[in-house]
Amino acid sequence: MQESPALRASRREDPVQRTIVVAILLLAGFFDGISGNPIHSILLFGAAGSLVWDAARHRSADRVVEVPTVRPMRPTKGFATIAVLGVLVFAIVVGGFARYSWPMTFSVVIPAVLVLVIARPGSIRSGPEPEKIGPVGIVAWTSVFLALALWELTSLLLQPTLTTDSYAHPTISVMTDPILASHLGRTVALVAWAALGWFLVER
Amino acid sequence: MTSHDFTIAVYLLIVAIGVGLEIRSSSERSRIPSLGAVFSRVMRTRSGRVGIMAGWVWLGLHFFAR
Repeated sequence: MQESPALRASRREDPVQRTIVVAILLLAGFFDGISGNPIHSILLFGAAGSLVWDAARHRSADRVVEVPTVRPMRPTKGFATIAVLGVLVFAIVVGGFARYSWPMTFSVVIPAVLVLVIARPGSIRSGPEPEKIGPVGIVAWTSVFLALALWELTSLLLQPTLTTDSYAHPTISVMTDPILASHLGRTVALVAWAALGWFLVER
Repeated sequence: MTSHDFTIAVYLLIVAIGVGLEIRSSSERSRIPSLGAVFSRVMRTRSGRVGIMAGWVWLGLHFFAR
């Protein structure tokens, strides 16, 4: 079926949005790097680099890049039940591994790669166009996420050093440490992480 | 109020505002979209999709992986 020009236009890549996303990824990668997390930093720099590479590749042809669409997944009830049970078993088993251990690392990286393949960042889902976000909505939600990011950064910079936790100025990571110290806490957090991934993947 | 309490109070305030926006979005006449609608819109573009999914992977790595 032929899509309307308006629908196709709404899916075109906006250079301003891309620049903002690249800047956020580079900033996050920089601070993660100087906080002693080089692998995480590489992931963020890699994502930023892929967008820059993509922009450079399309610059000569067309400044406004259109993103290809793929069909959304429509899992059957049986498949969905098996997937939910699979995630629960995964979270219970992997939750038993110690944080930052190699078994935990592999157990997180493998499903993350799988979800990235399913999500196919180079494409978007076909279907009805989501509602347009007005200026009030943009300002409201941007303010919340910006405030959260700035407060997290403030707490990080108020630590004795970037790699030393502070009781007086706890970051989100420091606050979640006691929860993630237990098997149950890690299991719940892994279920939440997987659920968030599923929520995002079909957007 | 100690620095510790104040830091946590600000985090809670930001979360409360986010929850408030989400509740407000459920009203039909509201000009505030739901968080799901915002993500759906942002992920209509390649950069939005890459940025959001990279953020999700980073969350898993940051809290669990080496």
